[in-house]
Amino acid sequence: MIKFSNVTLLYPQSTTTVIENLSFEIAEGEMVLVMGHTGSGKSSLLRLINGLVPHHTGGILAGEISVDGISTRYVRPGALSGIVGIVGQNPINSFVADTVEEEIAFGMESLNFHPEVMRKRVEEALDQVGLAQLRDRNIATLSGGEQQRVAIASALVMHPKVLVLDEPTSALDPIAAEEILSLLQRLVHDLSVTVIIAEHRLERVIGYVDRILLIEGGGESSLGIPEEVLRHSNLVPPLIKLSRALEISELGINTREVRRATDDIRKALPDYERPTANPGDGVVELTEVRHSYGAKEAIKKISFSLSSGEITALMGRNGAGKSSLIKVITGLITPTHGTVFIDGRSIIEIQSEERSRLIGYIPQDPGDILYLQSVEEECQKTDRDKNLATGTTLKYLHKLLPTVSKESHPRDLSEGERLTLVLAIVLVSDPRIVILDEPTRGLDYEAKEKLSLLLKEASRRGASILIATHDVELVAELADRTIFIAEGEKVADGKTLDVLLASPAFAPQVSKVMSPRRWLTVSDVLAAKRVDQ
Amino acid sequence: MWGFFIALSCAVIATGNVVVALGAVGLAALLVYLRREEGPWGSSFKWSLVAGLYLMVIRLITGILIGVPRPGTTLFTVPRIELPSWLPGIRIGGTVTWERLSSSLSEGLIIASVIALFGAANSVTSPRKLLRTLPTSLYQVGVALTIATTVLPQLVSSISRIRSAQFLRNGKKVRISSIALPLLEESLSRAIHLAQSMESRGYGSSRLRSRYRPIPFKKIDSIFLGAGTTLALLAVFS
Repeated sequence: MIKFSNVTLLYPQSTTTVIENLSFEIAEGEMVLVMGHTGSGKSSLLRLINGLVPHHTGGILAGEISVDGISTRYVRPGALSGIVGIVGQNPINSFVADTVEEEIAFGMESLNFHPEVMRKRVEEALDQVGLAQLRDRNIATLSGGEQQRVAIASALVMHPKVLVLDEPTSALDPIAAEEILSLLQRLVHDLSVTVIIAEHRLERVIGYVDRILLIEGGGESSLGIPEEVLRHSNLVPPLIKLSRALEISELGINTREVRRATDDIRKALPDYERPTANPGDGVVELTEVRHSYGAKEAIKKISFSLSSGEITALMGRNGAGKSSLIKVITGLITPTHGTVFIDGRSIIEIQSEERSRLIGYIPQDPGDILYLQSVEEECQKTDRDKNLATGTTLKYLHKLLPTVSKESHPRDLSEGERLTLVLAIVLVSDPRIVILDEPTRGLDYEAKEKLSLLLKEASRRGASILIATHDVELVAELADRTIFIAEGEKVADGKTLDVLLASPAFAPQVSKVMSPRRWLTVSDVLAAKRVDQ
Repeated sequence: MWGFFIALSCAVIATGNVVVALGAVGLAALLVYLRREEGPWGSSFKWSLVAGLYLMVIRLITGILIGVPRPGTTLFTVPRIELPSWLPGIRIGGTVTWERLSSSLSEGLIIASVIALFGAANSVTSPRKLLRTLPTSLYQVGVALTIATTVLPQLVSSISRIRSAQFLRNGKKVRISSIALPLLEESLSRAIHLAQSMESRGYGSSRLRSRYRPIPFKKIDSIFLGAGTTLALLAVFS
């Protein structure tokens, strides 16, 4: 169905090739995962399939790409719209119309389909993704998962043979992500659509895909069945890490397989429960906080306190009230009822400049707070803002990220580097509480590990850390405590171990394998093994 | 429907008569009552009435304060402010006559009624529906407008998101220049994504376009359009 022969891609004004001498072939009805480090050219590869690269983005293409026998070199993406459907990371950015039905019909209108054919196909597409009840709704009012399904439906309606998805679940909570992925699997099975998907959170997709295309730095790439590719990869989901750590020769890619392989180990190992950090003194204190926007109640009577040296995860579906809660704690909104105290002082009484020293906030998109021309300037500005000696922030940044050049422009940094820069800016003044909003979006495992280390270090120095996230594995690895909110109410609050094990949808991979033993991560299992020896 | 309302506003402007204006607004109100659409645009007649009322009051106040003197029955006198000699013909304050008051009142009323008619048109047919009835040759303009109306709220939320993030960085007032760069980057990448999505869905690759659920031109539409045009012509040539 898709054939790449000796494909090399080079963007103008760039010295390095994005893709080098890549050859592979994907058959009809296959579901293939494209994986690689951030910036390894995954997105470019996906856009090559329907010719957006280089027709739309520019760039020099060598080699030959054919999709369903058509060479993308001579055909513009629009002409391929009946063969390749493409779904982006942020569906809201790709919507043209305002209601679900019209959005789905847009592609067919462009190609001058007959109205009656359109009616029939829209109906089909709505049924395939299960959106029939929402057909007249305004797209902006839908949830993230529903929007993603609209995007998939508007690709499906063209009856494509290939569906290309670029990190379709990165913005979604685990349950919505699961729904999208099983929808894709059903399409593969029922309609024999070929699905190409790029994703960083391997633990989410690994169970669904038939083959993996691994793109490594330096033009290396390999395509094979998951067990084979993951054996040599250094980007692996927790499941594979577990098998490696336990030295199981047979690599399993789903919970059931690994569970079977670890049967003896699971039963033999002694009890071990990860030690919980001793929380220090209270830093943040929320008492009966309520907040409503007009008639809509976003937060319904939430009370909790966060202590120094404690890492807390804030979890919940999209729209559960996480962002509102963060805004309340940072003092951006004053709750309609209840109080927020930081170090015993009410947040409304603290001047905003002092508040910014007490509270470190890392936005979802770190680029939001970077606007100067170089890394050095950003660091100098931080020194001035926080009354630090000149050069403190830059020195601190170099400790975290030795490779970064101070002259480079913040926009040219990789996603992980940019996050580290913002972390340096925030952490340099030792804030009492650090709040992160969905920090792992678009990060590969290595960048994520680095983030974990940094946050652990900060919490050892006495900061209280609050992470709002959908990333279950990150929570399992990092958080001492987990607060779970739904519909603006606190539904669970306790040790991460207890909260995550209580809900099957939010359980990390290792715990699914090791259940009923109370282990969340590979290091938990290894610690149990050490107890044994 | 839109045609009818446009013609009606032409008539109101052309005659400049308060009675005609009030009559037109009354007719519009009746039509809105009968044919209102559900949805966010449905209440636009109400809001346009409110906006029109505001404008009328503003016109009245400026009419009282600033203006060319008109002879007539004196009602009351506002203290007059002397202006430098290089501003001849304009005076602030002074005698307010009945004639001046009534003329500014009727002018305000006409402006208000035109706005109300526009709002009524929106109430009866949402602008998006109007875009869909446009001939295909105007379609590209329509798509641009639709995208603009969806992108605008997104832009506003981006601005507030970036502003609060930067405010939390140092607690100082956020300057517009510092929002501009992240915002520009985001808007550009959004525009590129949108263009890619449109292109990969076949936009612009066929010269002809079809319309999903086309809205046919009904008999009642012709009647309204005809009536409106007649009224406008009568008003202009009478």
